[in-house]
Amino acid sequence: MTGGYFEIEKISGGYGSGRVVRDVSISIGRGEVVCLLGRNGVGKSTLAKLACGFLRPLSGAVRLAGHEITGARPSENLAVGLTYCPQERVVFDDLTVAENLSLMRANRRLDDLDRYFQVFPRLSERLRQHAGTLSGGEKKLLSLVRGLAEGSDMIVIDEPTEGVQFENVVRMAELIVARKNAGASFLVVEQNLTLVDRIADRIVIMDHGEVVLSAAASEVDREDILTHLTV
Amino acid sequence: MASFLVRNALILAALVLLPLFLGEFWAYQLGLYFLYGLAALGIGLTWGQVGILPLGQGMFVAIAAYLTAYGLFGFGTSPMAYLVLPAASVVVAVFGFAFAALVFRGRFEQGPSFSLMTLALTLAAFQIANGWSSVTGGFNGLRNIPGLPGLDGFLDLYHLIAVVLALSIAGVDYLVRAPIGVLWRAIADNERRLAFLGYDVALLKAAGFAVACGLAGLAGALYAPQQNLVTPDLAGFAFSGDLVIFAAVGGRATVLGPVIGALVVGVLSAELRDRFPWWEIVIALFFILVVLRLPGGLMTLFAPLRRLSLGRNAVPVPLEAPSKPRTASPLSVAFEDVRVRVGDVTILDGLSVRTGEEAVLCVIGPNGAGKTSALNVMTGVLPKRGGRIVIDGLDVLRPEPATVAGKGVARKFQTPSVFPKLTIDENLAVALWAGRWRLFDLLRPSLFGWTSPLLEEMRGRFQFLEQGGKLASALSHGERQLLELTMALITEPRLLLLDEPCAGLSHEETSAVIEAIQWARQYLNLRIIIIEHDMELVRRLADRVVVLHQGRFLADGSIEEVQHNPEVQAVYVGGSR
Amino acid sequence: METLLLTQVINVVYEVLILAIIVLGLAVVMGLLNVLNIAHGEFIMIGAYTAYVVQKSGLPYVLAVPAAAGVCGIIGLVVERFLIRPLRYEPFETLLATWGLGLLLRKLVELGFGRGYRSVEIPVVGSLNFFGEAYPTYRLVLMGVSASVLAGLFLWYRRAPTGARIRAMVGNPVLAEAVGIKTRELARNTFVTGTAMAGIAGVMIAPLTPVEPFMGLAFIVNSFFALVVGGMGTVAGLFAGAGIIGGLQSVLSATVNPTTAYLAMLFLSILFLWQRPRGLFPRP
Repeated sequence: MTGGYFEIEKISGGYGSGRVVRDVSISIGRGEVVCLLGRNGVGKSTLAKLACGFLRPLSGAVRLAGHEITGARPSENLAVGLTYCPQERVVFDDLTVAENLSLMRANRRLDDLDRYFQVFPRLSERLRQHAGTLSGGEKKLLSLVRGLAEGSDMIVIDEPTEGVQFENVVRMAELIVARKNAGASFLVVEQNLTLVDRIADRIVIMDHGEVVLSAAASEVDREDILTHLTV
Repeated sequence: MASFLVRNALILAALVLLPLFLGEFWAYQLGLYFLYGLAALGIGLTWGQVGILPLGQGMFVAIAAYLTAYGLFGFGTSPMAYLVLPAASVVVAVFGFAFAALVFRGRFEQGPSFSLMTLALTLAAFQIANGWSSVTGGFNGLRNIPGLPGLDGFLDLYHLIAVVLALSIAGVDYLVRAPIGVLWRAIADNERRLAFLGYDVALLKAAGFAVACGLAGLAGALYAPQQNLVTPDLAGFAFSGDLVIFAAVGGRATVLGPVIGALVVGVLSAELRDRFPWWEIVIALFFILVVLRLPGGLMTLFAPLRRLSLGRNAVPVPLEAPSKPRTASPLSVAFEDVRVRVGDVTILDGLSVRTGEEAVLCVIGPNGAGKTSALNVMTGVLPKRGGRIVIDGLDVLRPEPATVAGKGVARKFQTPSVFPKLTIDENLAVALWAGRWRLFDLLRPSLFGWTSPLLEEMRGRFQFLEQGGKLASALSHGERQLLELTMALITEPRLLLLDEPCAGLSHEETSAVIEAIQWARQYLNLRIIIIEHDMELVRRLADRVVVLHQGRFLADGSIEEVQHNPEVQAVYVGGSR
Repeated sequence: METLLLTQVINVVYEVLILAIIVLGLAVVMGLLNVLNIAHGEFIMIGAYTAYVVQKSGLPYVLAVPAAAGVCGIIGLVVERFLIRPLRYEPFETLLATWGLGLLLRKLVELGFGRGYRSVEIPVVGSLNFFGEAYPTYRLVLMGVSASVLAGLFLWYRRAPTGARIRAMVGNPVLAEAVGIKTRELARNTFVTGTAMAGIAGVMIAPLTPVEPFMGLAFIVNSFFALVVGGMGTVAGLFAGAGIIGGLQSVLSATVNPTTAYLAMLFLSILFLWQRPRGLFPRP
């Protein structure tokens, strides 16, 4: 487990002095996709925010490619190749779709995004519209495209499929796998097994702020997952 | 009570005796700064306690001063002239109350825009006072206003002003320690929570503002005979600003702070303004420092002293709170084709669901199913776009938090919503008073002694509630969840809405919550609707489970029936649809 | 008669454009960053004093523009670092702090220059014949400059990535940081831009008004309520606010009297604060 590309080591924290996440460690290798599962409120999103610099951990460390990035600002993390796609408020509502994608590009051109637009033609049709007018699922597609287009080697995505229809979930999975094969690592917080089945190399399940199961996707018993996720 | 009398008698004696040491000139000067202190006292009350900053109190001083001037012109030496003073104060207080009640109605947390409105009002008042020469005397103001009959010289008037100030300080001191004072601080802390307990927040805020206006009115009423002159400057931007600075520099959170601020800043300014040109820069810097670092103002310096004082509140005598009327049946709720949209996003898409015979109804469903939104639309947080919500057999057209609470609905939020700056005891008291207080109860300190069997039961279950003097902000996340649950329960609701009551709780705390809920459903004969993801909790509590999906009703039944429903399985694991 | 009407129309346009320039700095600071900078008028005042100093030193008046932008920008930088940022850009807290700041700046200027009026000479003298009516050239120059500055800013705000990034940061600060916007620096630069613009506005209006330490108070009232009516954070709001408040003042001052115009503005603002606190064209 040591020497992973992205390492979360014994991290604890939450909002204010609350301790929503307790001593969680996850190590992700290069070109590995780890899916983080668990019911609502067990601390998955909090963990993602702690790992990416949106919340300051009370204890523990985060390392990217061997360099400690604990407590660094998200904008600094992006500069060293850590991308984050949030669960909520995933796009800039009062910017157009095109602006959402070109915001940080010096030339403001979107030529190299054609492959994404071919997968999600809906987005290219609506480039001039304000992103706030997109449906929840379309916003998630836009958010994923934005995140993948940033070109980072480590990508953390929080619930990418919320409100996304089945066909697009499959396409999302294909895009993620393609990037993985090109060497990128992923931490995906997810509840939707349609996506998890297609992308996960390893599955980590959280409950009450702690990791309760961590194993290669091929070795995890489906019944185990279901008992942790469903009624 | 004894310490209250001693404290305020000392203040009175000090104020009345002061000129013995200082002489006539200072009696005049101090009298004026006492009046400023009187107006600042009101700002301290609204800003420091209720959390609303009035930027235009000068207008109320001015109106009362003009009114009093006319009164004094009219009554001459008749003793009736003395009636003019309280009358002018009452007039501006009523005006302030009406204005605030109108502005605050149906709106939460309108702080900054209310402040700006008061600022605009005083700017307008200044223009009117300047321009309406036939009534106000215009730029030169009203001159040669007669003094109060029977009072000779500045010293007599000084004594009157000192007594009025001392009584006003005592009055404000009493109010902030009375139940209404706790409610005011609760407003500053968490207005919505108070509304969800059934309090009319707009009226409470307006009441606080009215007291401040009344004090500004008293200051204006005494200003007219003290200065024998009223000019539009009283309504000017600068004077209102000075009053705010007095309150801030002295310390807005304490009763005496604003008065001390007025005295210290006022007297020092008068002395140093001409001799020491940097003086006003010192004041400005100190004001900025107060905003940045020292919200307690000058009174922070006296804080160590207060710990030495005898001003400790006596433990109130325990007293059974008035019982709430018990009805035979729990409250029923029915959603009929309810639609909610926020912007372009459909949140509830024709939700139809109703409560039945069950006592505990658990609502489950994946993220974005509309569970919390259903509670929000029912309690007036979200507006509905269509459909009907029937509570207790009545179609509620436009639900509002306080009216829904008045029907016997208590709500516990997903993230614990308590009053962090109040103590545990105060948090519990605010909940216990809800729906039980009658007119004038909010002025009775005996309310602090209220208790109920339910509250005692909860104190026995959750030990931390016994540390009554601890601030709620010092509690852990879990303890805050339990405190809020207790607050919801002791209102003795007919319907309790719990939104993930165990989120972020340890296993032990979760068990304690489950046991408390099970006990309460026996004791209170109430209905409980729980939104929950923790299936352990659902299994142990639910009489019936309802599953929502994409803003619609998906399935219901016992936990087993729901568990084996293939549709439910599908939405949870995201299978093909 | 027709020419008189034309003059009136030009006057209204003039008032609106001048107000828009005066509001501009506040529109940036309050409209984009939600900082209720009550000391905005004092930045204008300092800009005007800078113009006075530049003119007194015998330098060309145009130099006052960069000088005022520099002076007000540097003050803005210090204020952002030690007042606004520690208060986390909270609207209410910054309102109080900048209130104290306004007091401080007024007194400092009073200490330096005294309470008395200073007058700045009009840099462009003479008048132009306008359909038979003489109209002061400086006013026309001002209108031209204001209109081009506003138009330029409008285009820049729409086109340049900075405009979009500010909108992105204010609308969704968490995501902004996630996509790599250094929000702390961007907020600071935006604030400083706002105060520098106030300084430039001060240079532009200095020749038309007595320059004195308390001159800022009138500007802050007008600008504040123009934004309240127009709406924060949008170009449409800036123009609507300046148009309504400036137009109302100008028309009522000409037809009734200035006091009525002022009162009408205040009551309109109270109405908006009460019923439509986000103004006519708020940020979405």
